[in-house]
Amino acid sequence: MIPPPLLARELRKDYPMNGETVHALRGVSLRVDAGDYVAIVGPSGSGKSTLLQLLGGIDAPSGGAVEILGTRLGSLSDRELTRLRLTRLGFIFQRFHLLPVLTARENVELPMAEAGVAGRERRARARELLAYVGLDHRADHRATQLSGGEMQRVAIARALANRPALLLADEPTGELDAATGHEILALFRQLNADGTTLVVVTHDERLAAEAGRIIHMLDGTIRD
Amino acid sequence: MKGIAWGLKSLRRHRLRTALSLAGIAVAAAMLLDMVMLSGGIDKSFTDLLLGRGYQIRLTPKGTLPFDTEATMAGASGIVAALRRDPAIEAVGAVLGTSLYGRTADSLVTLFGYGIEPDAQSLYQLASGRDLTPGDSSGVVLSEPAARFLGAAVGDTVTLVGRLDPQTVTAGVGRRLVVRGVVRWLYDYRGQPSVGTVLPLMQRLARQPSADRASVILVKVREDAAVPGLAARLRARFPQIEVNSVAELVAHFRERLVYFRQLAYILGSMSLIVAVLLIGTLLTITVNERLGEIATLRAIGVSRATIVRQTLAEGTALTVVGSALGIMLGLFTARYLDAILTSFPGLPAAFSFFVPRADTLGFAALVLLVTGSLAGLYPAWLASRAPIAATLRAEAT
Repeated sequence: MIPPPLLARELRKDYPMNGETVHALRGVSLRVDAGDYVAIVGPSGSGKSTLLQLLGGIDAPSGGAVEILGTRLGSLSDRELTRLRLTRLGFIFQRFHLLPVLTARENVELPMAEAGVAGRERRARARELLAYVGLDHRADHRATQLSGGEMQRVAIARALANRPALLLADEPTGELDAATGHEILALFRQLNADGTTLVVVTHDERLAAEAGRIIHMLDGTIRD
Repeated sequence: MKGIAWGLKSLRRHRLRTALSLAGIAVAAAMLLDMVMLSGGIDKSFTDLLLGRGYQIRLTPKGTLPFDTEATMAGASGIVAALRRDPAIEAVGAVLGTSLYGRTADSLVTLFGYGIEPDAQSLYQLASGRDLTPGDSSGVVLSEPAARFLGAAVGDTVTLVGRLDPQTVTAGVGRRLVVRGVVRWLYDYRGQPSVGTVLPLMQRLARQPSADRASVILVKVREDAAVPGLAARLRARFPQIEVNSVAELVAHFRERLVYFRQLAYILGSMSLIVAVLLIGTLLTITVNERLGEIATLRAIGVSRATIVRQTLAEGTALTVVGSALGIMLGLFTARYLDAILTSFPGLPAAFSFFVPRADTLGFAALVLLVTGSLAGLYPAWLASRAPIAATLRAEAT
């Protein structure tokens, strides 16, 4: 049996803050199967971004476990975890976080170069991905020369570079105007239709409405 | 697009800051290079100067160095004859250095006179005309400044006058001599008006108490390896005379100029520290500015090693470019400083304080490269240890 792309059990996350312990997550369990499109919604401070960071192996839980394709993240060394993020997961951030000194193509190539993909192959795939997100004509423009929507599309192409099993997006339309956000929404719909498994943290009702499943969070727990 | 290429591109992000940092590193590198050249250049230049004509041993009056004082050795011809019989010795030449005067139309000009043995001379190189020959008691060679002072050219006749009588201020021995050639005296300071005649003639002009005197006797040894042994042997044989090999003279010289070396080491070290601090500071600022970017890269799976490589690449690139600029600047300033230092009275014009050598340049570049790269270690460590989740949370707020 093929393990699911994502399985989280009883996740807890506590932060020390001003001498007190903040319970950001209080036992969250979640399963995401291949091809799912999951939206996590909730008010600020409900723990949704923290959950996404734990699911992506960016942060370590105070309790519970996360499995990506059957691999328990807690059992991995820092190097193995970094490699897993590189090859199995794709990340999309609210503020895009492209490298401003690199072109759109170079930004997309970066994770592939890190994964050891040969130059010719990664250039071809970068072109293919930029065409997929509708930016092939902007491939050689620096990130700073792109609009917000274009930057987010480049970030999506970058997240897809190493053919991840799971795409994690944190407020992907948070920095965009309504029209541009709509374009990204359409792109996510297309991604999912093409078989990409998506977990999206969002405030955007329209984006959440596109998802096949919506998870509501409040006070560090799932309420649905 | 791996860490190194990405690091190099990152330097273009703040061009003015990078340019200013490069300028700072270049100045520090130039100073380091100059100090490295200064610390080794004095010895090298002095050794080259002394070995210019291949004479490895100097005999001088007891307690003096060549041309250090006006002291002379008596019985010079006997010593020379004895030395010439030694099978280890290839050539011997006695030299008398003295003050004398040249007569111009309406006055006397002060000159420095060398009495030399033309078949074993080691003090000049012929620039024009012809050389003196043994026994040429009517010829003289002039330095360029002396020729200018006396208004004489090759083939002209000049009048040299021996020491003035201090009581009557009247001239002693005077001789009319034909200028055979214009020469470059190896040990003259800049602008020194020097003349050279055969030794017996200069001894007469100098009016030494005993005619057979010399300031220095130069010895060319057949085998370089035999020099220390021969010097020791001559020291035992002529206890009334100072015997020094070039290596020993260099050691004496080094003792006299030890403060130059200390200054060079101190300033060199300081410039190195400045370069390291500049690179370290710049990279630390850059890393702190880019913590969000670095956290993102770590989040998407970029390894710590790549982050470290990228930061070190920036430091190395700054060092390489800054050093290249610094070497050019250092060579330029060395020439300028050399011109100032060698114009000090009493220093041979052919002497150089700053000697550019491939090994010196290589050493300075290597030290800079290593330390410059090391300067990136702390910022690289800082970058690789950036907490991913906390930094991304801070970026989002």
